[in-house]
Amino acid sequence: MSAKSFRSVGWVAGIAATALGCYMVNLKVASERAQLEDVETRIVLAQRDIRLLQTEIGTRGRLAQLEQWNVKVLALSAPKANQFLEGSFQLATLTAPKKVIDPSAPVVLASAPAPVRSQPIVDQDGPTLPAPALATAPVQPRSTSPTDLMHVASLKRDLPDPTPQKVVEKPLVRRIVTPAPAPRTASLSGDSKGKATATVVPAVKVTPKPKTAAAPTTLKPKVAPTAAPKPKLASATPTKPKPPLPSTKTKEAGTKR
Amino acid sequence: MNAPTPALVPRPERLRLVGQRRQTLAVMHQRLMFGMLLFAGIIAVIMLRLFYLAAFGDHAGRKTLVTNLVPPRGDIVDRDGQPLARTIDAWTVALQPAKVIGDKLELARKLAALMPEHDEAAWLQLLRSDKSFIYLRRRASPSLVEQINALGEPGLALSREPDRLYPQTDLAAHVLGFTDIDGHGAAGVERAFDEQLTNPATRGQALTLSISSGVQQALEHELLEAKTHFSALGAAGVVIDINTGEVLALTSLPQLNPNVAGNSDPDARFNRATQGVWELGSTFKPFTVAMALDTGKVRSMGQIYSCPLALKAYGRTITDTHPFGRNCSVAEIMMESSNIGTAQIAAQVGATDQKRFLKAMGFLDPISVELKERGRALYPREWSPLDVMTVGFGHSIAVTPLHLATGYATLFNGGLYRPATLLKVGPGHGVAPGRRVFSEETSYKMRSLLRLVVTRGTGKKADAPGYRVGGKTGTAEKIINGRYSKAGLNVTSFAGVFPMDQPRYAMVVMLDEPKATAETFGFKTAGWNSAPTFGKIVARIAPMLGVRPDLKREPNMAEVLPFVHEKK
Repeated sequence: MSAKSFRSVGWVAGIAATALGCYMVNLKVASERAQLEDVETRIVLAQRDIRLLQTEIGTRGRLAQLEQWNVKVLALSAPKANQFLEGSFQLATLTAPKKVIDPSAPVVLASAPAPVRSQPIVDQDGPTLPAPALATAPVQPRSTSPTDLMHVASLKRDLPDPTPQKVVEKPLVRRIVTPAPAPRTASLSGDSKGKATATVVPAVKVTPKPKTAAAPTTLKPKVAPTAAPKPKLASATPTKPKPPLPSTKTKEAGTKR
Repeated sequence: MNAPTPALVPRPERLRLVGQRRQTLAVMHQRLMFGMLLFAGIIAVIMLRLFYLAAFGDHAGRKTLVTNLVPPRGDIVDRDGQPLARTIDAWTVALQPAKVIGDKLELARKLAALMPEHDEAAWLQLLRSDKSFIYLRRRASPSLVEQINALGEPGLALSREPDRLYPQTDLAAHVLGFTDIDGHGAAGVERAFDEQLTNPATRGQALTLSISSGVQQALEHELLEAKTHFSALGAAGVVIDINTGEVLALTSLPQLNPNVAGNSDPDARFNRATQGVWELGSTFKPFTVAMALDTGKVRSMGQIYSCPLALKAYGRTITDTHPFGRNCSVAEIMMESSNIGTAQIAAQVGATDQKRFLKAMGFLDPISVELKERGRALYPREWSPLDVMTVGFGHSIAVTPLHLATGYATLFNGGLYRPATLLKVGPGHGVAPGRRVFSEETSYKMRSLLRLVVTRGTGKKADAPGYRVGGKTGTAEKIINGRYSKAGLNVTSFAGVFPMDQPRYAMVVMLDEPKATAETFGFKTAGWNSAPTFGKIVARIAPMLGVRPDLKREPNMAEVLPFVHEKK
């Protein structure tokens, strides 16, 4: 009985609830849409502001104004034809090194006897040698005797005694055999001539550690390039590098003059 | 007790009454019911409407603002998108004298301090006038608006109105034109494209012009400097891309500020580059030579003409500024700008061919460009043999500087005439189809000839080293009231093309009545004023236009150099 009499109430309530639910959904959608529109409106307003500011900046920085500043203050002008470069080659030609005449350099006779060996070639492998070693080395012999001076002028380096050479040679051999790490050679191969030489170069880098004269250490890179493919063999026989040296030495001396 | 008993028998009138009451009751019920139904109906309608609105309607807080920005009038931008004209909301200050509540004398004093265009008495008069609305200031500055607002006077109305602003002020003013007070185009592009700029469907898209701001600025600045330096009345300049006909810069001096166009001088509003027609003199000579080359009358730059000191022809004596007094080649005639030689070449070409070529180049028609300020060329009506000669060296024919620029473009782009355009060539606006005027060979041969003028002839000062400038000077006596000026007033011009080995841009520079200065040694011919201006402008704009300067490149000068008589 009661259930039957409440059925209609239940229907009404159910329908009302459903209708309300639908309405709520509707309301939710409407409010979302309103928010969206709000955002859109804000975007438009922001765009309008941007436009206004752009216009203001454009007006304040108008070309006529810039021109006026240029005329009064900056005085910039269009680049001349000779200020345009064809490419990196032309750029390089502009920065040719200046020829500086060093008045303190000693006068050298053209017929100066070619010295037996020296290390100016080290300059080619510049990075391998510590800078102070290079700088200090030539000063020493200059103060010795006039005959030495001649050598210095052409080569800028005095020759070491054969004995220290041998002393340094030994650690060199040791180091070559033991480390020769692959990544190192890769990084250095760009500086030196090839892979065969590269294996030697790290050894040279290490050599400054034994605190001997700079001269003997610099000899080692010479050993490697000349005795090319088999580094172990070449370094094992220290007497071999001697013959090729004079030719390279004279070359260097020639260019230095 | 003998009181009459209440009617036990219903009296007929009473009975009638009851019937009546019942009837009225029924009517009342009916009416009530009707009224109730009416209200129910109305409520139902309202409810239905409410439900409908709830379901499908918009909410109360809905914004009516536009969701995309469409300016009231379209923007105008240059070829790189830099705005040249924009519509902004500007503050407007207006006065409504009837609404003023404060002390008018006090207010007049304050207004005079804020806006000094009127004095106190004038302000008071304005405040006391019986007009309902007076504009005090359009496009008022924000600081002024703030100060006026601080006065707190309800009679001073502050409102925002769309206003046309030209951010670059004078730049390309004659191209852009200006708008009238109602926001309609009154001149220039504003007038020519008024429909497109105001139409709601198209105004959202900016109108892209072919003008390049940088080039325009360089041209304007250098021309203004030349105009001031040579105390000229006016000047005009045009830079045109010869392969597309796009006008990259077009200017006319004196300057015009389109923001306050109404305040400017009518002379400043006159567009000398498209409206003014001038006898441009010797700048015409290349056309005559090209016509002769094209028709086979001149076969080589070495063709010889007799160039006496003066040539008598049809009752008029033609003279030269650099007389030869000997036989001379075509190359020399052009180099030294000989009227006598060119007149003979023109006579060989003849009236029919001359007219045909000029017509094909558009020289006999109003200039073909989008602007409405277009000048109509003036030319001899009957075209007598003497006219043929004088037209040959640029006299008795008056054209606009833009005509001349399109003519040079035609001559050096391979011989195709294309009308000048102020709209950027690109999607939606392709290159106009060309009309063949000169053969490619003629066009090619003319390169070295005009380069010769600059390297060794009258236009030496126009050279911009490395940019291979080629061109021709032109000096014409000014016509005042239909007669050549007796006072020696000139219109000097220089028309040229660069880079000459691969022509890309043509430029015309014109000075109206330049005066001689100390460094021109008293000369006021084009070689001394227009030509150096041309050179300066080229040196500035060519790098912007992507022309690489190269001191080693030249057009094929072997075409002309063998025919130039070397001075011993």
